[in-house]
Amino acid sequence: MIQRSWKIGGIALLAYVFWTTFTVPLGPGLLEFRDRNEAASTDGITKRIETYELIGLGTHWTVQPEELRLFIRKGDQITPLPVIDVIDDTHAHAALLLPDTLPSKAWDVLINHPIDGTLFLQNGLFVEGFVVDESAQLPRPQFEERSADLPHHFPFQPRIFETIRNLMLHVPMWFTMFLLMGIAFVASIRQLSQSAGGSSLFDLRAEASVQVGMVFGVLGLLTGSLWARYTWGAWWVDDPQLNGALVTVLVYAGYLILRGSVEDERLKARLAAVYNLFAFVILTILLMVLPRFTESLHPGKGGNPGFNSYDLDSSLRAVFYPAVLGWMLLGTWMYRIRLQATRLNQKLHRLNDE
Amino acid sequence: MSALSNIRFLLQHAIRVELRNRHGIAGLLVFAVAAVYTCYQATGTHAEQESWNALAWVVLLFAGFNAVSKPWADDDEGVRAFLIHAVQPQHWLIARTLYYMVLLGTVSTVTFAAFLLFLGMDHLSGWTAGHYYAGVMLTSTALASLLAMIQALASRAGGGFSLIAVLGLPLIIPVILVSTRYGSDLMRGIAFGDTAHHLLFLATLSAGFFALGYILFPYLWRD
Repeated sequence: MIQRSWKIGGIALLAYVFWTTFTVPLGPGLLEFRDRNEAASTDGITKRIETYELIGLGTHWTVQPEELRLFIRKGDQITPLPVIDVIDDTHAHAALLLPDTLPSKAWDVLINHPIDGTLFLQNGLFVEGFVVDESAQLPRPQFEERSADLPHHFPFQPRIFETIRNLMLHVPMWFTMFLLMGIAFVASIRQLSQSAGGSSLFDLRAEASVQVGMVFGVLGLLTGSLWARYTWGAWWVDDPQLNGALVTVLVYAGYLILRGSVEDERLKARLAAVYNLFAFVILTILLMVLPRFTESLHPGKGGNPGFNSYDLDSSLRAVFYPAVLGWMLLGTWMYRIRLQATRLNQKLHRLNDE
Repeated sequence: MSALSNIRFLLQHAIRVELRNRHGIAGLLVFAVAAVYTCYQATGTHAEQESWNALAWVVLLFAGFNAVSKPWADDDEGVRAFLIHAVQPQHWLIARTLYYMVLLGTVSTVTFAAFLLFLGMDHLSGWTAGHYYAGVMLTSTALASLLAMIQALASRAGGGFSLIAVLGLPLIIPVILVSTRYGSDLMRGIAFGDTAHHLLFLATLSAGFFALGYILFPYLWRD
């Protein structure tokens, strides 16, 4: 029973992960704050009372519409804008009632709402036709951040939107691949450190874990590529993190080709082990070291700091950690089955030869 | 014999064998120059910066791979069986790496000179060409330290050129990523001081490859 419990646990974790990944709703967010009537803004009379349209995604403004508060913020300056009208859950009109002198042209847009909580649109407003004076002070309203009154949901991120769910499918692939290649690395070291003429048991372990690790690597590339098509607009982009991932998969493909080209079992075990140690060191350099020294657009890296806060978001953590553990357990299980199959196959060959 | 004189003997021997039959090295140089001339035919003397940089590294990389891909007398099983008892494997690897540094350095220098000659120096002038050349030499050092090991591995596995390429090309990509970035930085007019850390990366990668090879080579060589 104990033998099986970790497998059952892994499957249960993955079932939980798949269920929550695809059923937990995305939290609300702000998409745009735009000028409604650009033509009218040239009219001298309405110049200072342009109306703007606020567009949200997944917001609930028709519930308690009178409680929707709109603010713009720059640094520590914050000022309210009157909400004229709530059209529907995701659309509202606001008036740009501001003094003639402002401390800045570019503003962040914020809303407060009892259900959606405080939402934030960075650099959402760019005003023209105002005198800019950095020392100008605006009247300060009562403002305090409120948290959303919504059931469990994933955080809204600009441009990422629903693809945030890919975090549970893409990232654990690389974690699992790293674990399996680590198993292969240790097996190769033990293969080399045993005395000459020893068995090739460790070699079989390394082979099985690399084979399963390759499955996860290819799945990682595929899930990443799909995500990039949606978010970046291309199946593949030139990025250090992506290069590293592709090269890693190529290096391990080289490992499997090397195995295929050696006939003698003992020589194969030794050569494959030597190459595997090279491969793991390169894997570490490419996926752990080089991306830290180069700029990358990949989430979690310098070019996309919005993602760093993900690590702190409890709703994602509650799914992400089980996902990593679940995929790792599944990967280990697959590795053990693969190893058993290889050994049985070998035994069968030996029996056939006799 | 001391380690040093062992290594020196092996290195001299390798160079002597190479020079005994000059067709080999001449063939490499003709390959490199012909490849550069093909690039020249395709782009003329006014290649764009990016094309110049890309073509230069592609030609340098493949000239390098070509240089190490030919079979060796040492790869013969009988010769290896003798060498196992005559010299320490690490000495043999050091000598082989040094020899590859000389060979790849020569091939890279000729290739780079041909590049400057045919494709022009529009993007590289004076010191910048010298800095680029430093990158080329460090890249060929990294190639030498990796390929000494990979060539031995591939010949032990009984594979030919294709196996060297399959095993070596993915492993060398980190080096190529760094050196192409360095080259394009120089061509875009970035000050040498601001991109010199790439040279440090290249040196570190060479040292890393060599250290790995040094540790692992005895396992590869023994029976």
